[in-house]
This record gives sequence, structure tokens and C-alpha cells, in this order.
Amino acid sequence: MYEPDPAAQFIHQVSAGYSLPQTLPQYTFDETPLRLTDRRGRGGGGGYGGLGGPGVGGAAGRSLLYSPIFSTPASANTAGVVGPASSTAGHGHFNFHTTSATTASALTSSVPATTHHRSSPPHFAIQKMEPTPEDLVAQEAAAREYQPQLEGPFVGEKTPSTAITNEYAKADPIYIQKTAVLPQTYSHYRPIQGDGNCGWRAIAFGYFETLVKGGNKGQIEAEKRRLEDLNSYIETIGGHSQYVYADFVEETFLLLDRVAALIGDPEQAMREVYATFNNSEIGNAIMYHFRLLASSYLKGNQDTYAAFVEHEGGVHGYCSSVLERHQVEIDHLGLSLLVDVLLKPVGFVLKVAYLDRSPGSEVNSYHLPEEARDRHPSTLGPIIHLLYRPDHYDLIYPVEPEPIPEPVNVQVHRVSFSPTFDIASAPVAMPSYGINMGVLGMLPGFHGPPPGLAPTLLDTSPSPLSAYSPSPTSTWITSPFPEPPQQAPPVSVQAAPVPMSIPIHTAPAVAPAAPLQTHPLRFSEYCQLPEYVENDTWREPSFQTSTFRNSHFNVAHYNNPNFQPEEYRPDAEDYDAPQRGSGKKRASV
Amino acid sequence: MSYMDDTQNSAPGSLPASKAAPGAATSKKVNENATKRLQNELMQMMTSPAPGISAFPSADGNLLFWRATIEGPEDTPYAGLNLKLSFEFPSNYPYTPPTVLFTTPIYHPNVDFSGRICLDILKDKWTPAYNTQTVLLSLQSLLGEPNNASPLNGEAAELWDKDPALFKTKVMDRHKDIEED
Repeated sequence: MYEPDPAAQFIHQVSAGYSLPQTLPQYTFDETPLRLTDRRGRGGGGGYGGLGGPGVGGAAGRSLLYSPIFSTPASANTAGVVGPASSTAGHGHFNFHTTSATTASALTSSVPATTHHRSSPPHFAIQKMEPTPEDLVAQEAAAREYQPQLEGPFVGEKTPSTAITNEYAKADPIYIQKTAVLPQTYSHYRPIQGDGNCGWRAIAFGYFETLVKGGNKGQIEAEKRRLEDLNSYIETIGGHSQYVYADFVEETFLLLDRVAALIGDPEQAMREVYATFNNSEIGNAIMYHFRLLASSYLKGNQDTYAAFVEHEGGVHGYCSSVLERHQVEIDHLGLSLLVDVLLKPVGFVLKVAYLDRSPGSEVNSYHLPEEARDRHPSTLGPIIHLLYRPDHYDLIYPVEPEPIPEPVNVQVHRVSFSPTFDIASAPVAMPSYGINMGVLGMLPGFHGPPPGLAPTLLDTSPSPLSAYSPSPTSTWITSPFPEPPQQAPPVSVQAAPVPMSIPIHTAPAVAPAAPLQTHPLRFSEYCQLPEYVENDTWREPSFQTSTFRNSHFNVAHYNNPNFQPEEYRPDAEDYDAPQRGSGKKRASV
Repeated sequence: MSYMDDTQNSAPGSLPASKAAPGAATSKKVNENATKRLQNELMQMMTSPAPGISAFPSADGNLLFWRATIEGPEDTPYAGLNLKLSFEFPSNYPYTPPTVLFTTPIYHPNVDFSGRICLDILKDKWTPAYNTQTVLLSLQSLLGEPNNASPLNGEAAELWDKDPALFKTKVMDRHKDIEED
């Protein structure tokens, strides 16, 4: 433990009269108190940093405890301030202790207030950063117990599919392109909770929904009889005892009964289905019934399916560890099995739209069962549509014949200036206190311009575009305060096709548009010119203007629903560096 | 500062309390489902018992808490021993596995000294199609075929192959018949 050494303390206070920062002498090694002579003897003359290294000498083992401290930037600063002063003064008495932060703070308070010193918040910040073993254990336990917070109900309400478009607005261009046209094909979607059961749940819900839509009581009763017959299949082929599956199956039958009773009132019937699926126990039971059906069907049709089983445990291992496990997602084989055992006999077709990064301008669709692929859609039975995004299924609904109530002009939201241009060719720096614009440029939504425009946009050498921008008072001026909210929708500022050079924060009073028109017209990918819109090369507003950058509209802001933490890219520093510290701050003052 | 203190002090206690009122109906409902399933399982185990295993809800009438017995299989170091276990079923059983502990002290590579068991089907390999009986049968076979690749008791895992006689001695040393409570 730390034992105050009055003499040493005295020396320190006297000699440190020239405001040796308080940050320094808080570290104490009691067994080997390092006096200055010791330090000289060991050759650790490099100030604080030297203490962390050779200066500690015999206490090197314990100094490991401090390695995080010494490697933090804050401590590096401390070393910079303190090191030279102490080594030149020759009176720096350092008490190092390895025990705990509390001792350190006790030491702090033991220093008389008369010592004329600067306050030292960094010291305490550093101390707190060091996790105790208990913290680590607690953290590990928390990580083990971690269950992701699942949002929303098991099965959500029907939602306009433009929500998906907006969700992907800042994603990869392939996603943007595919989701932009999605609402033309599918007007609505129904979010399914991503708890690992979503594919099973979506199909089960779709099955009941299709039965309700069919409005055929006879069909529902026939389905019940058919599923009852499949019970023995679950028992004999699937190998599950009656007392195990009975509870699951019963819930399916109860819901079929309720739906059949409400067949004259489809809305009420759908409410019943919706409520049932959002009851965790009943919904899970129905879903698990269908899992058992699929796994039993696989066991009973191994000739057909066994070749597709890619599992070390073979068919049975696959059944027990994939199909029959709660919260294990459906895979393609499971999809085929469920369609074959549940949907195909009743004439339902499953159509899966794959929203992924495969090349193409719209989602790839896939019909199950396979026979449905070769037939004309009009000859198919009712179709259950699923939207697949990597690792997740939602239900989607195609556009109904009648006009859609809400035509959405997505393009309006997509007009903006190019963040790439902002970074690469605007010679005005961003203030360094906030977000690193260079790094932001690396975010998924801000990847480079399309190939055709890339050379122009990434060219940092003076170009016609930069001719007007160097002036700090030009269009790139920053208002030091957030601009009034009525300027928030950038849409209104540039609804018309204009050159990219209008930044969205151009308040009319600040930057007259006149100079822009004198420049050669250079259309950007963000113009609303038909060819660009058709080519789908426009982007979402990035909210990277100085006005919005620190607002929650920016995805780099933690309040943004699409929050995307900034990614550290060492290369990004290269071209970001020259921007730092140049005229931006002055310009805004 | 005072409001900070308030939230800190009251949060742990008040959260369950505030949840209890609206959630009471739901959790009761959930219990009903688990209970129904457990009643079926109990019926099954009584009508067609498997040799060497038995299980029954504990005396207080709580269906979510069972006591079970496994007879040590012949040809294993546990032959002739009666091993008792406790089963605690979660309210969303069978979607999540029961918590199973050996209450009899047992020396086994996959059981630690607190009675905790390392068995995949009780953890990530659990499926709702499993039940108390299948768990007990799995544990019974685990007695004769420990998974020495992932031991909880490293010494036992080593001795199992190296020195069966010493292993048997340690089993008998550790074993202690406990009173049924």
C-alpha cells in the first residue's frame, strides 16, 4: 500500500512550485519507490514514457497492469507535458503504486491544495479506463447471457413496402436499386421478428392468411383433416411421441377451427390469425408443428432429399439440430420440405424474392415448388410471397390490381450533393472537432461515384468545379449554429435538375446561386436528369453537410435509426489530413 | 443528482414490480402451456416407464420443479448407485431446455463439483421435441460414455482412460446417498 513519504512529498511540492501538473505523481510502486537517482541509474531519462518502459525496471512485471494506461493517447499527452519538466528539474519524485484507483485518488487529496497545480481530469479518466478483474468477469457473464433485443411483434402489421426502400436508402447501390423498384412489384410487406424462426413463422402465417383469403370453409376443413392424417406420419416416420407433438398440433387445429368459424368475416378472421401468431406460446406451437412436419417429411422421403442434406449428422442430425431446433432459421432444404408437405398438397405456391447483392436491377424471385416455375402465373394457385434478405424472411404482398393509395416519389429524396466531392475536391477543411469526413466517405452509403464519373469526382487537382469553392465565403460556408428546421428537407432546395455544385445547406442569403451558373454545366450523378434516374445512379441525401453532419439525420449520429458507426480507415487519413486545420474554422467565425 | 440516485436505487426492484402487474396474466398463460406439456410427460413416464430412470414433480406441487433418479448402469463405474437430479423447467418450456443438476455428489468427467452437467442437448442442441425422459436417458448413457473431449472435471476425464480402478475408487469416494427432501 501507499505510504506517504513526507520528505518526498515535501520535495515534490517545493520543487514543483512551477506548476508541475497534478497528473504526474499519482502512480506509486511501493516496494521500489523510484527516486530520481534510481531513474538516472537505470537510464530511464525519457520522462513519463521512459518510466513506463525501462525506468520501471524491476517493477516491469507489475507495469503490465499499466500498459493500457500508457498506451492511451491521453497518457501520451500527459507524458508530453510532464516528462521534460520533471527530468530537467531533477526533482521529480515518482511514487508508483499498483494497487487501485482509490489509492491514487487518496493520494491526490493528500496533496495540499496550496500547491499551485492544474486540475487533472485526464488522470482520473485514465484510471477509470482500467477494468478490474471483476469488471471483466461481469462483462463476460453479460456477454454470455446476451440476448439481442428483438423489436416489434412476432408478426407485424402490413406496412407499405416503401419502408424497405427507405431502410436501404444508404446501403449498397445494388440494394438501393433493388429496393427502389420493389414497391412497384410489392406494395406491402409484413415484418416478421428476426428471432431465428422468421422463415417458419412467415410461411405459417402466410398459410393461414391464404386460407382466410380463399374464403373456402370446405378447404379449411379439408386441410384440418389432412393435417390430422399427418399426425401419424409425425409419429411413425418422424419418431416423435404423441405426447410431445400433441400440444403443438392442437394449436394449429384450434386456429383452423377459429378461422373456419369466421370465414364469412375475413377481417375478423385475419385479426384472429394475427393475434394468435403474436401470442408467443401459441405461435411457437403452430410453427413447431410445421417444423415437425418438415422434419418428418424429410425422414420419410430420404430418397428425394437426403442428397441435399449437408450436415455431419446426416438426415437425423440435420433434423434434430436444424429443422427441429427452436430459433434455428429455415434453410433452402427446409423451405422445400415445408412447401412440399404443407403448401403443395393444398395448391399454394411459395414465391421468394431474394433481396441480396447479386447483380441485377430488381430482386430475383424463385418459385417453390419447382413445377410452378414453368407454368404461367395465372395457372398457379394462391401465392405466398416471401422477401428474403440475408438471414431474414418477411412476408411481402404484390401490388393489388386497384391503384395504390400512396404513390411514393422516392426520387425526390434522392437528390443531393456528392459527399465524395465534398471530401475529395473541396479544398475547405472540415472543423476537426467533429466527424472525420474522410472516414465518413468510407461508409457503405458513401462509396465512390459510378465508374463514369469517378475520375472527375475524385480528382483533387484544381478543376472547373473548384474554381468557385476555395473562397471560405463561398457556398461551403458553415453556419456555426444549426440552421432552422424549415431548411431541413433538402428536397425543396433542389427539386429541379441542377448541377451538383449546390450544396444543400446553401441558404439563399449565404451563398448566391449566381456564380454557379457561370460555370460550365457539369451534370452529376445526383441530378434528376432522366438518364440518371433511369440508370438508378442517384443517391440518398447523405446529410453530410456542415449543417446536418452533427444532427441525427446523419447516420453517423447515434440517434439515427440507421446508425452506422464510422469506420476507421488509416488510408482515409491521407487525403483528409491536408484539410484539417486549414481555413474552415476561421471561415465559420 | 438526486434523481440519479433514485433511479439507481429503485431500478432493480421496481422493474420486476412494474412488469408484474401487466405481465402476470401472460406469465400465467405461459406457465399453463409448459404445465400442460409437463403433465403429458409425467403421464407418459408413469404409464410407460423406462428402465433405470424415474422422475416426479417435487412435493410442493410445483410442476416446474422435478426430482429425478438414475440408476447407475451395469458395466459402468456407477453400477449400483442411485443418482439423484433436479430439473427446473423454464416458463417457456419446451422451447428452452430445463436446468438439470446432479444433486448426488458424482465424480464424472462431464459433471462439475456443483452438479452442473455439460451435455449438448441441455444447452445449444436442445429441441422442443426432447423431453424429460429423453434427457434422463441421455444422461444415463453419458454415465457409461463420457465426453472426455470437453470435460468439466479434467482429472476424471484423464483417469477414465488411464486408470479405471482409481476412477472407480474416486467415484465411490465422492458418492454419497442423499436424503430425499
